[in-house]
Amino acid sequence: MFEQSIILSAIRDAIDWVLGLVGQDISILPLPVQVVLCGLIAAGGLMGAIAFAVLIYVWMERRIAGRMQARRGPNRVGPYGLLQTVADTFKLLRKEDIIPTGANRILFAFAPMLVLAGVVAAFAAIPISWDADKGEPIMIADIDLGIFLITAIVATEVIGVIMAGWASNNKWSLYGAMREAAQVVSYEIPLGLSLLVPVLIVGDLSLGAATEDQLGGNWLIWRNPFMWAVFFIFYVAGLANCKRAPFDLPEAESELVAGFHTEYSGLRFSFFFMEEYASMTLISAIGAIYFFGAGDLFGLQGSSSLIMFGVLLFKILVSIFVMMWIRWTLPRLRIDQVMTLGYKVLTPIAFFLLLGVTVWDLYDLNDKLWELFSRS
Amino acid sequence: MVETFKDFGFAVKTAIKGMGITLKTFFEKPVTLQYPEERPEVDSRYRGIHFLEQEKCISCKVCALACPVDCIHIESELPEKGLYDWDRFDIDYGLCMFCELCCFPCPTNCIHMGKEFDFSRFSRMDLVRNMLTWEGVSPAQKKEVDGIAAEKAAKKAAAAEAKKKAAQDEPKDTQDEKKDGE
Amino acid sequence: MLNPAMPLPDDPLDRDILIGAGDISTDEMYINMGPQHPSTHGVLRVLLRTDGEIVTEAHPHIGYLHRCAEKIGECLDYIKFQPYTDRMDYLAAMNNNLGYAMTVEKLAGLEIPERAQLLRVIIVELNRIASHLIAFGTYGLDAGALTPFFHAWREREEMLTLFEKICGARLTYNYVCIGGVVNDMPEGWEDMVLDFLDRFEKRWKEYNDLLTYNRIFIRRTADIGVITREDCVAYALTGPMMRGSGIDWDLRRDRPYMMYDRFEYDIPIGEGKMGTVGDCWDRYWVRMVEMKESGKIVRQAFDMLKGAEGTHKAKVPKVFKPKKGECYVGIENPRGELGFYIVSDGSKNAYRMRVRGPSFCNLSILEKLLPGAMIADAVMIIGSTDIVLGEVDR
Ligand code: SF4
Ligand code: SF4
Repeated sequence: MFEQSIILSAIRDAIDWVLGLVGQDISILPLPVQVVLCGLIAAGGLMGAIAFAVLIYVWMERRIAGRMQARRGPNRVGPYGLLQTVADTFKLLRKEDIIPTGANRILFAFAPMLVLAGVVAAFAAIPISWDADKGEPIMIADIDLGIFLITAIVATEVIGVIMAGWASNNKWSLYGAMREAAQVVSYEIPLGLSLLVPVLIVGDLSLGAATEDQLGGNWLIWRNPFMWAVFFIFYVAGLANCKRAPFDLPEAESELVAGFHTEYSGLRFSFFFMEEYASMTLISAIGAIYFFGAGDLFGLQGSSSLIMFGVLLFKILVSIFVMMWIRWTLPRLRIDQVMTLGYKVLTPIAFFLLLGVTVWDLYDLNDKLWELFSRS
Repeated sequence: MVETFKDFGFAVKTAIKGMGITLKTFFEKPVTLQYPEERPEVDSRYRGIHFLEQEKCISCKVCALACPVDCIHIESELPEKGLYDWDRFDIDYGLCMFCELCCFPCPTNCIHMGKEFDFSRFSRMDLVRNMLTWEGVSPAQKKEVDGIAAEKAAKKAAAAEAKKKAAQDEPKDTQDEKKDGE
Repeated sequence: MLNPAMPLPDDPLDRDILIGAGDISTDEMYINMGPQHPSTHGVLRVLLRTDGEIVTEAHPHIGYLHRCAEKIGECLDYIKFQPYTDRMDYLAAMNNNLGYAMTVEKLAGLEIPERAQLLRVIIVELNRIASHLIAFGTYGLDAGALTPFFHAWREREEMLTLFEKICGARLTYNYVCIGGVVNDMPEGWEDMVLDFLDRFEKRWKEYNDLLTYNRIFIRRTADIGVITREDCVAYALTGPMMRGSGIDWDLRRDRPYMMYDRFEYDIPIGEGKMGTVGDCWDRYWVRMVEMKESGKIVRQAFDMLKGAEGTHKAKVPKVFKPKKGECYVGIENPRGELGFYIVSDGSKNAYRMRVRGPSFCNLSILEKLLPGAMIADAVMIIGSTDIVLGEVDR
């Protein structure tokens, strides 16, 4: 268990050290307790990191939206309005927790947690950096089925959203939930197909392996001419999957008031909010790791894992900026157009690209072309 | 199928064009005014809270009559020609719609629309604003009015005295008359 | 829940709602769009019967903003009613002022000096631009693009500052008055307006890149909510709603009032450039082009103003009592034909005041347009009527 994960073993070492202060040793705890304890601490840390990141994202989103609309955005609370989201969080926490009459209370309460849990859990399989000494990725759980796990676990979010929409006893919410079901489930196909391509090239489902494979500027995006198109499909499908504009139909505020979370308030609402940003980060992280070399900066970053983490973060932030940029520019599609785009455009293209990449790799066209060039 | 792909390509192209515009705006200077710190320059014609040149006002109430919502309340006494004893000149800003109709017909041109615009209060009663710079009689005219009042009072007193005297005299007369009558 | 003593309403729709028959459990459901809905542009309530995402029946309910404007007009003096017209179509208050003032002037037989007329033309056309800017921005909002709205407001704010400079107010102007306009333009105002128009034309191109020609936007609006020419006439639609369907009718040209016959400008009509004639995109495009044409008129009006005679206001008697009679004047409001019908009995206030609001008439076609559309389209169709609820409910 601990051999697979640098983060978990680091946590175990830390517990060991703390217990050493009282003259004890980690071995007094049975192994299952050790695992659960370390896992809980890691989960708590992850949750905290995501919550913190969401604070920053919300601020970023507002500032960016402001500037794109010739406004300033929040600039009153704290320097550059940085504390505005903190203030808003406190406001949300203080809000009355309203459960509408006729709502299914259990599902209503459970839905936001389920929605958030799926996305947060997926981060366990994301390598945040690379440990050059050990030659291992730094992540919570280096599972062999990495990306498979992520796509599977993120899909639980749909269930949460449908639960939220149905339990709210509100027709607008129901519309939102139904749209979400239709949209996210269908966009999982192009998303999965476009993820299959890097998996095919790396030859491993683990994201850690992908990080290793791309060290030294050998990014997957340069590997063959199809990759940019694959990345584009991935990005569009990813946008649809995390319900960002122009695919924000489940919450389309000008049509469905607020979609599936119309009836939510306070903390529960903020869970949905966090989920949106968390899944944006997830998609961006996968994009950065699978296409743009994870924490690699053409080998310039040296062997410091901290710098690699910073580089990865930077790539994620760029991707999130683009997502925000798209949101504040484009109008929203209609649900049938979203479905048409998913099934009639993205899926066939993704299939074609998958085929192309396979053929390319099969015949080693990279090397052959290189030979051709160097000869002439 | 081809149509759909074409459409998709078109959508991407136009989307990129639109994104160029938002990016351009992103680097432009925002136009927002930082309100409480930066106050907008309002024009001299701005129609804000009224101001009244009380020394010119002749309390003719034409403005109150011209107001479509009847939100000007004027009460004053006219002890002497040209002198005013002001009780009240209120404008209820809960009603006023800043139409300027009260300012046009004023014969002495003494009520104007001012530049003040942020006039929010917690209760409706607080929205009634007293336009008077002074209540009662103008300080400049106070002496004069006092003088007139004193004169009046003196006159009154004299009159009363005279009356008293007359009254004192009267019964005799009547008695005399009565006597005469008898 | 249901009071058994209460008789069921006759209308099957109402009955279903009352007994909850058309609820989630059945195939079709009723859903209230508004009065508290982000895209009904105010307090309009549209009752929709939906089959999944598709609307099968729609009933607009109005009256949430009723303020008895017509009755007030009958109770107040003619001059005092002027500021109330601002508050009907608050996005184009100058045009409302003008419609009312012209009606009363016709009733009283007043002659308006040339200069006043030109100032009126300028201000009214500027207000048309300002009003269409809102139509453009909110239409973007309906489509889910939030940025065009703020970009439109950026320009509108500049216009409002110009209005503030000439009349002192930013929304309820009360500038066009019986007999002319309240103030002559201040010094330097002309240059400011011309300067603004120059910048505006550049921005106008930006708007088109940002929204008009965006393929997603076109797909959301083209072929949606098509109004045929016959329907236009049958529902008495006016303004861009009618011109979008290809009917070439503009009161400014076809029933010229003031000095509109002396200007040169085009009247855009829907051509089905992106889809069918009379779809949402056509209506939207008519508004966009009208903004540009209004700019042309303003420029010409400024040129003519240099040689114009008279002052900014005709002499109006202090006690204003038009003679007995009745009259109707219709003008081209940004939303269509705005008509005032006044019956005078020779006293200080009108005997009957009636307003023909363009938004009110244009709204009536929703009942016909919405069935068959999807919910997202319903939002776009409501947006394309460009209603102002203040004037619908009056
Ligand atoms: S109209 Fe002018 S003079 Fe008459 S009461 Fe009003 S402010 Fe005073
Ligand atoms: S501005 Fe208009 S509403 Fe206000 S007091 Fe003057 S006349 Fe009355």
